[in-house]
Amino acid sequence: MTQPEGSEGVTDRPLIAVEGITVLFPGVVALSEVDFSIRAGEVHALTGENGSGKSTLARVINGSVKPAAGTIFVEGEPTEIKNPRQGLDLGIVNISQELTLAQDLSVAENIFLGRLPTTAGRVAWSQLRRDAREVLERIGVDVSESAIVGGLNVELQQMVEIARAFSSPARLLILDEATSSLSEQATRRLLQLVEEHRAKGVAILMISHRMPELYAAASVATVLRDGHLVGTVPLPDTPEKKLVSMMVGRELDDYYNKREVAQGECVLEVEELSSHDGVLRPTSLRVNRGEIVGVAGLVGSGKAELGLALGGAVPCQGKVSVAGREVSLGDPRKAIAGGVGFVPDDRKRSAILPNRSVAENFSIAWVRRLSRKGMMNLRSERKLVSEAIRRYRVVTASASSVVTTLSGGNQQKVVLGRTFERDVEVLILSEPTRGVDVGAKSEIYDLLQTAAEGGAGIVLISSELPELLGIADRIVVFYGGEIKAEFKGRDMQEEAIAHVAVTGASSDAPTQTPQEGAQ
Amino acid sequence: MSGPGSTSDTVAVAPPAGEPGAKPSLATTLERLSLGRYAGVLVALFGVAIYLTITQDTFLTWDNMKNIIGANSVILVLALGATFVVITAGIDLSTASVMTASSMMLAVAFKSGWDLIPAVLLALAFGSAAGLMNGVLIAKAKISFLAVTLGALSIWQSFALVVQEGQTVSIFSETAFKPIHDLVTNDIGPIPLLLIFDFILVLLAGGLLRYTTLGRSLFAIGSNEEAARLSGINVGTVLIAVYTLAGLAAGLACLISVGRLTAGAPTPDPNLLLTVLAAVLIGGTSFTGGVGGIFGTVIGVVFLGVVQNGLTLSNVSSFWQGIVSGSILIIAVGLGVLRERGWSVRRARGASAAVTEGPVR
Repeated sequence: MTQPEGSEGVTDRPLIAVEGITVLFPGVVALSEVDFSIRAGEVHALTGENGSGKSTLARVINGSVKPAAGTIFVEGEPTEIKNPRQGLDLGIVNISQELTLAQDLSVAENIFLGRLPTTAGRVAWSQLRRDAREVLERIGVDVSESAIVGGLNVELQQMVEIARAFSSPARLLILDEATSSLSEQATRRLLQLVEEHRAKGVAILMISHRMPELYAAASVATVLRDGHLVGTVPLPDTPEKKLVSMMVGRELDDYYNKREVAQGECVLEVEELSSHDGVLRPTSLRVNRGEIVGVAGLVGSGKAELGLALGGAVPCQGKVSVAGREVSLGDPRKAIAGGVGFVPDDRKRSAILPNRSVAENFSIAWVRRLSRKGMMNLRSERKLVSEAIRRYRVVTASASSVVTTLSGGNQQKVVLGRTFERDVEVLILSEPTRGVDVGAKSEIYDLLQTAAEGGAGIVLISSELPELLGIADRIVVFYGGEIKAEFKGRDMQEEAIAHVAVTGASSDAPTQTPQEGAQ
Repeated sequence: MSGPGSTSDTVAVAPPAGEPGAKPSLATTLERLSLGRYAGVLVALFGVAIYLTITQDTFLTWDNMKNIIGANSVILVLALGATFVVITAGIDLSTASVMTASSMMLAVAFKSGWDLIPAVLLALAFGSAAGLMNGVLIAKAKISFLAVTLGALSIWQSFALVVQEGQTVSIFSETAFKPIHDLVTNDIGPIPLLLIFDFILVLLAGGLLRYTTLGRSLFAIGSNEEAARLSGINVGTVLIAVYTLAGLAAGLACLISVGRLTAGAPTPDPNLLLTVLAAVLIGGTSFTGGVGGIFGTVIGVVFLGVVQNGLTLSNVSSFWQGIVSGSILIIAVGLGVLRERGWSVRRARGASAAVTEGPVR
């Protein structure tokens, strides 16, 4: 397409506009008469809490969801986008928060899926590999083009998905929580890509609730709340506080609300724990009752494997004691019996029972408590579930709704709730706020601290440094499968931690040695 | 809770259907019985039944009903076991062969002068052991369920032939066998004993799915095995249990089969396995796992049974029956897919009315 000389390609007429869009889902009005428009060469932030309808709006625009009412205009022409294929033909590319890669195919095939280079009807494999190599280098993803996607971790998969989108001839790129599984470094790279493409006249719709990113990249923000349009405001002129209050409908003063919790004796003792695959090298860690220990590090640094090992999800060796009793490793049931509550980082793959009800997704973790001689007590199940739905503020039409009709954040509340309601001494939480909105995050931080006050020791594994800084009492940093540094109190500074995470070495040595942290 | 815009009051959490105090409406009652998802097959079943009642004088007679029950009880019992397996996203291809092999064991036992109880226990134990083997190979040796049960299909089919060198073992004259023959042929008042037997098994199977931890675990494993494992479910044990149950079902089915034939036959009806799986599918149990139930399977069996019966009464050549039941299978599952799509739209309309009422109060 030809872009006029105009300043960096911004045109007057919207590339895509929607008017009066209404979408109905079982039990919920997902969108109610929403108007929205985006121009070529514009980075437009779409933000709001979980279940506010952001992803739904994106899916209407790319043709995945058919609205019950409303019109979509493409360059001023009313257009019916019947399916994502037609959306793609119009140049609308959606990178969704739920990964959509073909798990058994290679990185190269995934990047060019649906547009594989061919010669005389046969796939040109060498050209495919070459093109993929080039794309990966340009995007800055450190992965082999012939690696099988299913074997990659979530972040690399997300980067492959991003590479696919940014190498396609898109006119509108929708990044739906695209940074939710990315480290800070990868996020910075993504933001550069966004700016490069914007300058070329591509319209970019960024769906996110990470404020720093929105302020760094977007010039306009549209806020949704409960499926309604709250407003569209310019960035960065609108103060963050104002934007957040638009999202949650109230003022949120301190997002983390860090409370001082008195620490008790040591409840979790990890000695020389290492995973069989070698990603986690022998690691030792102590956590006290009431303490929240943050675990930082890039993807592949071993921090995710620490969670999996402690949760009993992967085979490993070493010694783990909870409240003085040794816990056998490598079996989730033994970890649970030992008092370990584990929330895995990949909700869709390893936490949610997709075609079962909200109630069953809660009670699957309580089967032992709710049963006697193999028989379920359905009455107490109903009671416990409806209490949990209230306590964890799960927005659902009913306890019997299928869990996947809920927004990602509400699904996460179910997963956290069922773990918290167990008899746990130690909570191992891997990315517990991934893809979760501001309001729900705040609620999750509150829940975490309540658990700490109740005497639990908490290991919070997160790729979001601000979150660790805001909520943790102490932060350990992983690099190359090991803890390289530990930060505490005033030493917990973003730059210093990021430096260790990226380089594996402390920036200015003496103040942040592990010895000091452990004192 | 009532602050403007606080997340908890903007979308009211509807009380779960059927909570004490709220009288469940017809719709929620239907939903709890999951009749909604079976509506299509039920309507078709009634349609066929009405057509046959009008065109065939003999259809709606008690004798014919008994025919249908007799001809489909083996399928039903096998389908109950298959439903458990399919809910875990697995499949047991060996079920008909295991039943045939168990029949041979039962017949040979009677022939050798065994008493009723030991012979029956032998057949049940044999079926269960065959299922247990499947389960152990699948859950512990981690061999694909398709490979294991396909292999078992072949093994037990062959085994049934080996036992008496392909001979049918007639046991009509054995006195110990008499009670089994009675089970299949006798009535209590107007009610066939076999119907009562079926009914009890259906209740047990349905109860197992709904009220036991095993039932929960089946659905959880079929829905997301890794999530089930991390939630503390012993996936291996559950899988072994489920294939053993399928084997036990084959053992129970062989009682009916031997009772009807008054013999152990070494070759089963070649369509038996396909009919069993078709009934499970038509009943709405999904081969991708995590969805389904016993009630649907009963409907699936009855539907296929009535159609089969109708074809026979209408003097349609039995060569045609495979074409008809195959088409029904595809249509029923196809309609199920369509319904899943249409269903969400209808429900959303209903729900939107409820939600828009919300803020007013």
